[in-house]
Amino acid sequence: MEELFQQLTNGLAVGAIYALIALGYTMVYGMLRLINFAHGDLFTLGAYLGLTLLAAFALEGKMNGLAVGGALIVMSMGLVALVGYLLERIAYRPLRNSNRLTAVVSALGASIFFSNAIMLAYGARSQVYPGGILPTTAIAFFGVEIPLMRILMFIGAIALMLALYWFIHRTRIGSAIRAVAIDQGAAKLMGINVNSVISLVFLIGPGLGAAGGVMVGLYYGEIRYDMGFSFGLKAFTAAILGGIGNIPGAMLGGLLLGVIEALGAAYISIAWKDAIAFTVLILILIFRPTGLLGERVADKL
Amino acid sequence: MNKTVFFRRHFSLAAGCVFFAVMACVPALLDFAGAARGGIAQLDILNKIGIYAALALSLNIVLGQAGMFHMGHTAFFAVGAYATAILNTLYKWPVFATMPVAGLFAAAFAFLVAIPIIHLRGDYLLIVTIGIVEIVGIALKNNIFGLTGGANGIYGIARPELFGLVFSTPKLQYGLIWGFTALSAGLFYLLEHSRFGRALNYIRYDDLAASGCGINVARHKLAAFTLGAFWAGMAGTLFAANIRTIEPTSFNFYESVILFAIVILGGSGSIAGVLFGSFLLIGLQDVFRGFENARMLVFGAAMMLMMIFRPQGLLPPRRRHYDAHAFMGKFPSALTPLPQSGLPTSMLSSAVLEDSLAAEARSKTATGNAKFGASCPS
Amino acid sequence: MKHLKIGITAIILMLSLTAAAFAGTVRIGLMAPITGAFASEGQDMRKILELMAEELNKAGGINGIQVELVVEDDGSTPRSAATAASRLVAAGVPAVIGTYGSAVTQGSQDIYDEAGIVQIATGSTAIRLTATGKKRFFRTCPRDDEQGRVAAETLRKQGFKKIAILHDNSAYAKGLADEAKQHIGKDAAVIFFDALTPGERDYSAILTKIKGAAPDVILFTGYYPEAGLLLRQMSGMKWSVPMVGGDATNNTDLVKIAGTEAAKGYRFISPPMPSDIDSPMAKIFLVAYTAKYGDMPNSIWSVMAADAFNVLVAAIKARGADSAAIADYLHTSLKDMYCLTGKISFDEKGDRIGDLYRLYEVDEQGKFVLQPR
Repeated sequence: MEELFQQLTNGLAVGAIYALIALGYTMVYGMLRLINFAHGDLFTLGAYLGLTLLAAFALEGKMNGLAVGGALIVMSMGLVALVGYLLERIAYRPLRNSNRLTAVVSALGASIFFSNAIMLAYGARSQVYPGGILPTTAIAFFGVEIPLMRILMFIGAIALMLALYWFIHRTRIGSAIRAVAIDQGAAKLMGINVNSVISLVFLIGPGLGAAGGVMVGLYYGEIRYDMGFSFGLKAFTAAILGGIGNIPGAMLGGLLLGVIEALGAAYISIAWKDAIAFTVLILILIFRPTGLLGERVADKL
Repeated sequence: MNKTVFFRRHFSLAAGCVFFAVMACVPALLDFAGAARGGIAQLDILNKIGIYAALALSLNIVLGQAGMFHMGHTAFFAVGAYATAILNTLYKWPVFATMPVAGLFAAAFAFLVAIPIIHLRGDYLLIVTIGIVEIVGIALKNNIFGLTGGANGIYGIARPELFGLVFSTPKLQYGLIWGFTALSAGLFYLLEHSRFGRALNYIRYDDLAASGCGINVARHKLAAFTLGAFWAGMAGTLFAANIRTIEPTSFNFYESVILFAIVILGGSGSIAGVLFGSFLLIGLQDVFRGFENARMLVFGAAMMLMMIFRPQGLLPPRRRHYDAHAFMGKFPSALTPLPQSGLPTSMLSSAVLEDSLAAEARSKTATGNAKFGASCPS
Repeated sequence: MKHLKIGITAIILMLSLTAAAFAGTVRIGLMAPITGAFASEGQDMRKILELMAEELNKAGGINGIQVELVVEDDGSTPRSAATAASRLVAAGVPAVIGTYGSAVTQGSQDIYDEAGIVQIATGSTAIRLTATGKKRFFRTCPRDDEQGRVAAETLRKQGFKKIAILHDNSAYAKGLADEAKQHIGKDAAVIFFDALTPGERDYSAILTKIKGAAPDVILFTGYYPEAGLLLRQMSGMKWSVPMVGGDATNNTDLVKIAGTEAAKGYRFISPPMPSDIDSPMAKIFLVAYTAKYGDMPNSIWSVMAADAFNVLVAAIKARGADSAAIADYLHTSLKDMYCLTGKISFDEKGDRIGDLYRLYEVDEQGKFVLQPR
């Protein structure tokens, strides 16, 4: 029982990161029906920029560890958002009226480009966030020791998601985003600047990915130029699992995927963990072809 | 028959013949140019391109013709390659004998996994096919059935042998591989222009209308998927016999991405485009070796740029030309009412039926109607 | 005097020019993973060999002949390795150094063998590579079974009874894990044997599961990033069980990832680092390396490449740059040559002879300390 509870918390911690990255996929998809394969690498970029900023401002030890973490997340989010904006302008906007798969290949190219650019700039070796920034206290819950940072990370990720949800549903700009997602043409007629709205989405999505990247760097310590691939694939799976284009769906999908992985590893097989996760995804899609919360029927090609 | 129409109609066929004739001369040309060691390095690249071209042609049926978002083709390639490797090393089958069996294994596997997922659309199918690649990769790594050798893979696969001729030198392998690629191109050309091929194109363009015309959409998609897998399995045999060591990382998601990009970038649905795409994407990775560490960076940038400047693909499918006059000639009764409709016969004879992709490329993408927040009013 | 020296050099140069098939320079191939999963290892291999070639040429080359390094990227996959091998064959090198991964080496072995080129692998530890009787294949790294035996022996000496073995499903780690499992005798039991997925960040689910099995020790046979993460997350869980690793964890980044506190007491077996080798060659090398790159070599495997270069140079110096002559020299004449990773000689299969493995432990400062035998 204790082990089950421990595994659930393990799964939720990983799942929160998946969910945070999945939001970027799902927002861009909801807007442009484009799978932004470069998103995982923007997440990696966020982690690396966080490390660079930490060194550049010599933040370590100057203030409280949590404040350092928060400052890094905010700065890295800003920079990666800018990169996301440029990516859309350069690689996706010219293709908006072409065949959808054209943009997918462009996104795949961008993904290869970013991961290799990071490798060239920082080297192929793992980079390491200096240890001891964050407190290492653990809190006991029902006889299970959970590191405080895990709980904070989980809360942080959920808070970011809720903020986004509030932003999309309770603000004027949010309504504009939803309007463009539903019908670009009609939104244009209503006086919404579709291009700016799309740019905004490309600021928010990669920004959230960068937040995930810094969190991973701060907590796990080790980052590598190609880590965006596995995180990206998992997050994309999570987005599909929840119903792509749907924000609560991405959150649910991410947390669920994390838990499935942890329980699969614990009670079936560690080596087959990812295969179990993908099998569950396929089974869910067979019975709910549009994911758990996806209501609309996927459009024809 | 009208000469222009005849020319237009058969241009691709003629161009294809010329292309493969040139490819047949390449080893001799390399010898003539005095390439080092009989052009071993160049032939190696060309062999790789040939295998990927055959593979991409088989993906083209699914992705290009039927329009199914399929990013998991290496799974079937892997099944074929492993079938050959296991049958050859464990049961001592000659490589050529394993080829149809490898195809059948891949086809059977594809058929079984496709039945439940064939109704999935667009990106949902995409992630499921990615999932299949990942699952196959994990299964191979975990030495499934105790046959795949885990991460070590299988080594010591024999050279293919036919009537005492062992395909051991790069030159002979080149002949074998490009012979197979030419065969693939020819057969897929026939398929594309068959009733089945036209039905697939119809499905890609509008599956609702296609089913309205009596085409069984699910069955056609399933057939295309299975057929593509069958051919990928046979390409797997060639790969296994060429490299002689196979292990799971040769069939990972990244290879699927490259295949996918070959088809889209070359011009989805176009055999010439797919061949050109293979040269470009496999060849460029090699050409960019000079950039050393930055090789893949330049490659990724090139992929983006090519899509930005040629969104329709490098060699998109040509418009299909039909000799309407000859067609009408088959049905004499059909010719009589035509003059009444005021349609000049000259126009008829060069009537152009547009390929669906050209039309699709021009039609704007459907604006998304995704909803944010299913539970909230919008 | 100076003229005499130049004269002799010139004569030697002319002699060797006429005697052998090379002109002015001798080309040595390096096939290394410059891109792909093992990119960091391959780039280190290139760095180290560029330094070695530069130093050698500055000192007059091999008998006055300059050495030129021809680098080809094997992309960390057997398929690209076949391409790289074909290019090196076309470049006409008599010998090739590399490569790292065993399956990758295997993808290239036949091509070199058929072309009659000497290949010296540097990180390919799979047993099967030397089992096919290739006459011109060598390796400067030890084999999996040797390491598996030493790992099992180390665990036995420390008196562990319940052993958890964790690998990462790579050919190398799985091979080592299997070998170690075989060699763990009756007095101890393997109570856990499974694989993690490399490249992930969170291994707490796996650690929780292993903790449930309550082992005395974890033997991790994978690579250093995962080892570092495991150590870090174990200390995060406030769980302290000893962990022993294989030579792929011999990388100073391990301590950086785990943190000094969590890494303290971690033990691994590995061939000795150059800094622990008491030879003038190793000292000179370390000075030159630090001067050029400002750091010590990270990975023992790049040092293995340097040793492949050392034995090749010795062979070419003695017999000239001919593949058959080099292979013959390495098989028969090279005995206990003192290199950067200890003494090197090869057996008839091309495997390196000698017990190479030593036990290392991480101390309070995060330094790797060689344990007395």
